[in-house]
Amino acid sequence: MFLTRSEYDRGVNTFSPEGRLFQVEYAIEAIKLGSTAVGIQTSQGVVLAVEKRATSTLLEPSSIEKILEIDAHLGCAMSGLTADSRTMIDHARVEAQNHWFTYNERIKVESVTQAVCDLALRFGESANSEEALMSRPFGVALLIAGIDEKGPQLFHTDPSGTFMRYDAKAIGSGSEGAQSELQEQYHKSLTLEEAKVLSLKVLKQVMEEKLSSTNVQIAVVVPITDDFTNKKKGGFSFLTEAECQAVIDQLA
Amino acid sequence: MPINEVKPATGGFSFDNYARNTMLNDKGFKAPGVIKTGTTICGCLWKGGLVLGADTRATEGPIVADKNCEKIHYLAPNMYCCGAGTAADCDATTGLISSKLELHRLHTGRQSRVVTAMTMLEQMLFKYQGHIGCALVLGGVDINGPQLYTIAPHGSTDKLPYVTMGSGSLAAMAIFESRWKKDMELEDAMELVKDAISAGIFNDLGSGSNVDLCVITKDGVDYRRGYDRPNERVQKERSYKLKPGASTVLTSSFRKYVEVLDGDAMDTS
Amino acid sequence: MQMYEEQKSSCPVKVPVECRFSPYTDNGGTTLAIAGDDFCVIAGDTRQSEGYSINSRYAPKVYQLSNGSVLATGGMYADGVTLVKMIEQRLEWYRHAHDKQMSSGALAQMLSTILYHKRMFPYYVWNTLGGLDEDGKGAVYSYDPVGSYEKQKWNCSGSAGHLIQPFLDNQIGFTHQKEKAPLTLERVVQVTKDAFTSATERDIYTGDNLEMFLVTQNGIEKTRVELKKD
Repeated sequence: MFLTRSEYDRGVNTFSPEGRLFQVEYAIEAIKLGSTAVGIQTSQGVVLAVEKRATSTLLEPSSIEKILEIDAHLGCAMSGLTADSRTMIDHARVEAQNHWFTYNERIKVESVTQAVCDLALRFGESANSEEALMSRPFGVALLIAGIDEKGPQLFHTDPSGTFMRYDAKAIGSGSEGAQSELQEQYHKSLTLEEAKVLSLKVLKQVMEEKLSSTNVQIAVVVPITDDFTNKKKGGFSFLTEAECQAVIDQLA
Repeated sequence: MPINEVKPATGGFSFDNYARNTMLNDKGFKAPGVIKTGTTICGCLWKGGLVLGADTRATEGPIVADKNCEKIHYLAPNMYCCGAGTAADCDATTGLISSKLELHRLHTGRQSRVVTAMTMLEQMLFKYQGHIGCALVLGGVDINGPQLYTIAPHGSTDKLPYVTMGSGSLAAMAIFESRWKKDMELEDAMELVKDAISAGIFNDLGSGSNVDLCVITKDGVDYRRGYDRPNERVQKERSYKLKPGASTVLTSSFRKYVEVLDGDAMDTS
Repeated sequence: MQMYEEQKSSCPVKVPVECRFSPYTDNGGTTLAIAGDDFCVIAGDTRQSEGYSINSRYAPKVYQLSNGSVLATGGMYADGVTLVKMIEQRLEWYRHAHDKQMSSGALAQMLSTILYHKRMFPYYVWNTLGGLDEDGKGAVYSYDPVGSYEKQKWNCSGSAGHLIQPFLDNQIGFTHQKEKAPLTLERVVQVTKDAFTSATERDIYTGDNLEMFLVTQNGIEKTRVELKKD
């Protein structure tokens, strides 16, 4: 790609003669510098696992947030320029709340993913008095996990605004190795517990540091019963450090 | 011009009080409004006499108070009067004038004349300045032949060959204007009045139910109550009779009647 | 008018003239909805009136919105038409955005928000929404013009609402009765017809035609019954 570099990578909204938007492609490259994040969908729920890469021994590991809650039934893991994800997560949260407010039902995983991706290409110069939101593409990829009427689902978004559904997906610096490992290990009858172990197993292989309960984080979205309506819905939660350690113990 | 000098009338309308009335209005004075008369009443002349007609709906606001009330009132053996407006005012006014006419007949020993009744009604309604809310259609036959009058609530009158009154008056008048002819046969006149009232029944929400007719000739009166009944209620789908004891009895107490043994006898003196 | 202006200008007292615009009118009519175990009946008469005049003998105010929801609109007819157009548009948007039909529960909440968004210049409409919920049970939601709503078993509103509601309380709710007959679709249809023929007898704004929507798992059936026209 760098061989064909030309003036066309300057403007964020200018196609090259080959039909490429370099800035968007570079943004996708930026994600490969980020820490690895893994998502696995099973019939019992979805697992999100991230590596917390501490740049200093003085850094407080709990202050690294790479998995966030979007709504009670939706979680999100990220990799890349995590600061950019603030805008996206905020938008996703507002969108989820608006949907609940307007329709008295939880937004679908695909809908919230679409809503986030609608933001992705709103950079560049403004056209016909429309305010441009951003000067450059997002430099972040997301793994959005959740449960709705269609069951547990995992979606991946990239800076081009493309989103796809995956059984298992890895993003970030170790994504290539992690993805091929997932490809080998994944099968449809995976249990949630097995998926938790698999996610850490995959992370362990691509992490430079030794994996421990302080430098990884796991979250799940599982089906729970609503206290008021007695109906099934999705429930997002983080694993505690102890629960995390219990998964690590199963790795050996 | 001196202020007390009287200027002779030059003819035409006078707008002398216009500015005063505008000022009164601006100061909040509320002039008497037009009353809603939920009714269709009418009458027309034909070759041998006249036909009066009325619908039978009585309303209280949006609610039908009486589905089959009588709006053609007796005034004299040769005279009847349809009333629209406040039901009590129509009953009282026609009743009062009816008794006055009877006294007048006893006094004079002659048949009552329609103009007499008209004048009495007119003077009474004028005297009350519109506070008696009735609009009337007066019809009768006397030595001057068949005559039809309308009397509005403020006491103004009209003498015409065909007349309508009430909230359905426009609907009814539309029928008369398109089909009334001089010297019609009785059957045609009855059909015409029936259709005029029906127009009010179906197109005016203040009017409804049945058509009452009253034919007056020099030979007498043919009062046709329920001449046409185009609005019979359909059979209900279910019966809503409740069996005895359908409701729960919450509490009950039975007492034997009390016998007073020692007490004073009732004073019957 | 010109005369009035001239007189006014010669009037010694000058007062500001207040002009008023009245954007609302009540076009009368009655709507009704009853929820059964596995069905829902939504009905309304088709008379449209203003004052003592009938504007139309067949101006339906009950609308099928989707294959599971029916909306009855009372009050101002024009506002009802506009509101229904708005809802239909939102249903289409929802279908495209979320790739599914809107459930009656979601529609109920959406209608409330649509109405409340016009809190300061409301749609002059009394809505009753009927349909089947996610479990296939009959559901009725009734609204005020600014979006306050409640899920009910039966409801009647409009010009004869106060005449019919107590009748429904007795015949559908069996208030103060020991025996409660099973609420079959046949019975509900009979009670609905009788409610409207009786209301037509006593309410001048109700009449002409009765339009009924029967919502079941098999779809929505629309029927029409003639009412008295006086």
